[in-house]
Amino acid sequence: MNRITPRTAGRAIVQYRLLVLLILVAIFGSITIGDFFTIDTFQSILNRATIVGFLALALTPVLIAGHIDLSVGSILSMAGITTIAMQPVIGNVPAAIAGLCVGVLIGAINATIVVVFKISSLVATLATLLIFASLALLLTNSQPLSSTDPVFGIPLTGDLLGIFTPRSMMFVAATAILFVWLRFTPSGRNLYAVGSNAPAAKSAGIRSNAYVVATFLISGLFAGAAGVLQSLSTATGSPVAGAVMLIPAITAVVIGGTRLEGGRGSALATLGGVLALGALTMALEFNGVPAYTQAIYTGVLLIILITLDRLSSRDGRPASRTLRRVRVEPTTPREIPGRNA
Amino acid sequence: MSTTTTPTAELSPRLSTPGALFTRLSVPVAIVALLVIGVIVSPSFLTVANLTNVVNANAAVGLIALGMTFVAVCGGLADLSVPANVAMGALVALGAQPVAGPLGAALLGLAVATAGGLINGLLVGYMRINPIIATLGTGSVLLGLSQLLVGGGIVYGESSDLASWVKSSALGIPVFVWIFVVVALILTPLLSRTPFGRWHLAVGGNYEASEASAVPVRFTKASAFVLTGFLAGLCGVLLALSNGQARPIIGSGYEFVAITAVVIGGTSLFGGSGSILRTVGGVIITALIGNLIILSGLPSQSAGLITGAIVLVAVGFDVYFRRKAGRE
Repeated sequence: MNRITPRTAGRAIVQYRLLVLLILVAIFGSITIGDFFTIDTFQSILNRATIVGFLALALTPVLIAGHIDLSVGSILSMAGITTIAMQPVIGNVPAAIAGLCVGVLIGAINATIVVVFKISSLVATLATLLIFASLALLLTNSQPLSSTDPVFGIPLTGDLLGIFTPRSMMFVAATAILFVWLRFTPSGRNLYAVGSNAPAAKSAGIRSNAYVVATFLISGLFAGAAGVLQSLSTATGSPVAGAVMLIPAITAVVIGGTRLEGGRGSALATLGGVLALGALTMALEFNGVPAYTQAIYTGVLLIILITLDRLSSRDGRPASRTLRRVRVEPTTPREIPGRNA
Repeated sequence: MSTTTTPTAELSPRLSTPGALFTRLSVPVAIVALLVIGVIVSPSFLTVANLTNVVNANAAVGLIALGMTFVAVCGGLADLSVPANVAMGALVALGAQPVAGPLGAALLGLAVATAGGLINGLLVGYMRINPIIATLGTGSVLLGLSQLLVGGGIVYGESSDLASWVKSSALGIPVFVWIFVVVALILTPLLSRTPFGRWHLAVGGNYEASEASAVPVRFTKASAFVLTGFLAGLCGVLLALSNGQARPIIGSGYEFVAITAVVIGGTSLFGGSGSILRTVGGVIITALIGNLIILSGLPSQSAGLITGAIVLVAVGFDVYFRRKAGRE
């Protein structure tokens, strides 16, 4: 029973994939780069991972609730161009808030389409991905906007307490808040029930729809935050900024162990996934691997992980030992996106 | 084998539901309406030159929509790796010319894109991974590889008999359009009249029941993605040969155009019903809308906005009629 077979070994790798990946990256980094294990490197990894990190954080509650938001990249672009365009009109801080509001507004649109019109979130957010990516191009005439106050955003990537930067601090704080909500409050735990089995959750008195709406609003807020922070730190509002960020964000979430089928996931695990992917990117870039190959290795990583996840979870055991202990056993076969009637 | 699947296939048209009626009438009505709007908007709309141009420009992406129909019908939602497979087909068809000759390179391009489709098919059909996530992943990898292949630049082709044939016309109709018509004529009975097509309808209608009825469910789902990969490759090869050059972004946005054409035609994205003829209607509608956007002077970026809105409305109607018909 306890013999190590390829199957049990494979399952162990999937369960502890975050650790496995972090150790592999650490070994790779320390062999190829002289001073990989320094506070400076960590600070830099965390700072650069902030934007993808906020997107991954945006996806986490939506995925736990059994839905997906493919439009996070487009929300990032829209929030970014809003912030930069509004800067000269209403000032720096109100412009940033306006960017967040645009994010929440798009989240509300997604929520409406999914909850009121009952369109599968995959299709709904695929459509809003296209709509808002096009709108961003239309509003800016496909040209990046330059900030009128480029100095304002510079401190965001400055030093803070040696290991943070102000923007990475915001990311860590947002992670902590999300973690506390999901782990320690009844409403956070209810979210897992909604994602595991929405009809059962409903009959247990949980207002599933309200939770789904909330997750899309959170997703819009965090993706908006990613857009605001990116546009302010680069002093540019690019209409295509978010186009390439969906895959890294999904990959980071999946590395952390949040399952795409819903009902399982954790904000801390997402933080781990973001750090692992950030460290991998950094280690590869230090070794002269061009940045545009990121699409290739993150995509490969994503495909391998979801395949392993699928292979190892056929017998219904948890595929990943994330930090969550409450598990609502499904009583009926759950709807799998794409096969629903 | 066909006896077990026939009932599902016969159920799928649902002639008596309002949804079916809506679907039957909406496509021809929409085409006529768009033609009328076109005449009002621009005097140059209803000219042979413009309409030939419209048909020619959309025949290539139309090929992909035909493949995407199989993906949607079998419950595979959509194939988002289309731009990557178009790029792979196009780049290989031109890049391999010095080594393999024009015909060999074109066949190689088709083979590479089909292999891309095969990977999708294995992931979605056999591993049962969510098709959107799987094809997003493979699309990202393959597009990245195609960029790596050409270093972000442009590949130029040699002039050849094959290239001039692709650009030529027969009986006044461009070869592009002939190819689209021939593929549509092959796929129409394949989907509606053969066991292979009925497997797709059955698998999309009810996966578990099809599996219990000894339908090769995994093979069926996988084959839809292989077909779409092949047709995306064909689209890329044809575009590359007729343009004489290719870039990795050659097929960007084509996945959405194809999805729109499929959905507009009335094929459900959630599987179980649909036909190639409807998608041909959908291709004509999207082609006319695209042409009208240009002729009426709207910025070209608004195409995505309108396409996305159409998909939402069409899927919304589909969901609404399905629930009314008690198929929720």
